[in-house]
Amino acid sequence: MAIFSVYVVNKAGGLIYQLDSYAPRAEAEKTFSYPLDLLLKLHDERVLVAFGQRDGIRVGHAVLAINGMDVNGKYTADGKEVLEYLGNPANYPVSIRFGRPRLTSNEKLMLASMFHSLFAIGSQLSPEQGSSGIEMLETDTFKLHCFQTLTGIKFVVLADPRQAGIDSLLRKIYEIYSDFALKNPFYSLEMPIRCELFDQNLKLALEVAEKAGTFGPGS
Amino acid sequence: CESRRWRYGGALHAREVGASGARAKVSLSAFALLFSELVQHCQSCVFLVAELQVHLAALGRQVGAHVLDALVASEKGAQRETKVLGALLLVKGAMWKAFGKEANKLEQANDDACTFYIIGRQPLINTYISVPKEDSRFNCAGFTAGIVEAMLTHSGFPAKVTARWHKDTTLMIKFEEAVIA
Repeated sequence: MAIFSVYVVNKAGGLIYQLDSYAPRAEAEKTFSYPLDLLLKLHDERVLVAFGQRDGIRVGHAVLAINGMDVNGKYTADGKEVLEYLGNPANYPVSIRFGRPRLTSNEKLMLASMFHSLFAIGSQLSPEQGSSGIEMLETDTFKLHCFQTLTGIKFVVLADPRQAGIDSLLRKIYEIYSDFALKNPFYSLEMPIRCELFDQNLKLALEVAEKAGTFGPGS
Repeated sequence: CESRRWRYGGALHAREVGASGARAKVSLSAFALLFSELVQHCQSCVFLVAELQVHLAALGRQVGAHVLDALVASEKGAQRETKVLGALLLVKGAMWKAFGKEANKLEQANDDACTFYIIGRQPLINTYISVPKEDSRFNCAGFTAGIVEAMLTHSGFPAKVTARWHKDTTLMIKFEEAVIA
C-alpha cells in the first residue's frame, strides 16, 4: 500500500476526517519464561519496551497482546495491570506480541491541530506575500503532501516517498469532498464527515492513484 | 417556501425548452446544491423525519403541476394522454429523461390493479446524498414522488405516490378506484 493515510482538517484546525490504509506493521510474537529479559516501562497509558532490543522486538514497541488476547492500554483483557501480571512468575511461560503502537484517535486529533499550527507558521515565515503554506514534508520513510483550499480546508495525504501523482490525488479528493460532503443536505460545514458515499469514493480514488502512481504521473 | 418553488420550477422549465425550442442545460452542481438547500430548509420546518418526506413531496407536487405542460409540449406527438398506461409511460420516459436517464422499470402489482411500481436509480436526486444511519428510512426521492403524483393527477388520473427503498428506489403509484374501473 503506497498511500498510508488521508487526513482532512477544517478551518479551525480540527480533524474532520481520517482514513488509514497501510498494510499491517511488523509485529513480533514470542514466548517468554521468567524472568523477562526485556525492560518494560509504562508510558502514556501504554506498556513500551525500554531496553532489550532483539529478534524483531525493538525499543519503543508496545505490548499489543498477551497470550493471544489484545491488551487494553496498560491493562490486560482481564483487567489486571500488565506490568504486575508480567512481574508474577506464576503466570509464565507467557506469549507476548510486540509491535509499533497505532495512533489513537485522540492522538490523531492532536497531531492534526499541531500540523495546522505549523502550517500557519510556515505561511507567515514566508518572505513573499501570499504563500501557499507547507506543501510537502519529506522524511526517509514517508512524504506528507498538503493542499489547502481557498476556504481553508486542508487535505493531507501521507504516502510512500516514491509514489507519484499525489498532487492530482489531492485535487481529486477535493472534488470528492465538494461532491459528496458539500452537496449532502445532512452534512454540516466544519463537522466530522460521516457520509458513506464520501468514504466509498475516496477509497476508490486511492486505489486508482496507487495503481497509476508508481508508473508515472497519476490520472 | 413560495419563492423557492418558483425558482426551482423556473430552472427545470429552462432545462426543457429554451427560447428557440432547443434544450437548454443547467449545471448539475447547481441543481445538486439547490436541492440540498431545499432539503435543509424542509428539515428546519418539520420535527420528524416522516414529516420531512411529506414536505418534500408537497414541494414536488408544485413542481410537477408546472412541468407537466412543458414536458408534454416537448414530446413528439404532443397529445394529451387519455389512457392510464399512456400517462405512466409519459412519466417514465419524458420525466426521467429530464433528470438525465430513461427509467428503469414499470411494473404492475400482482394483487392490486390500482398499484404500479416504477423502479430505478434516481440519477440526480440521490447521487450526492448519503442519508445518516439514524434516518435510514428517509428517501429524498419523496421529491420525485411529488412530481409524479402531480403529473398524474393533473392529467386526470388521481393517484397517490410514495417513495421507498427497495432495490434502489421504488415509487409506488396507487390510483384511485375510478381511474382503473
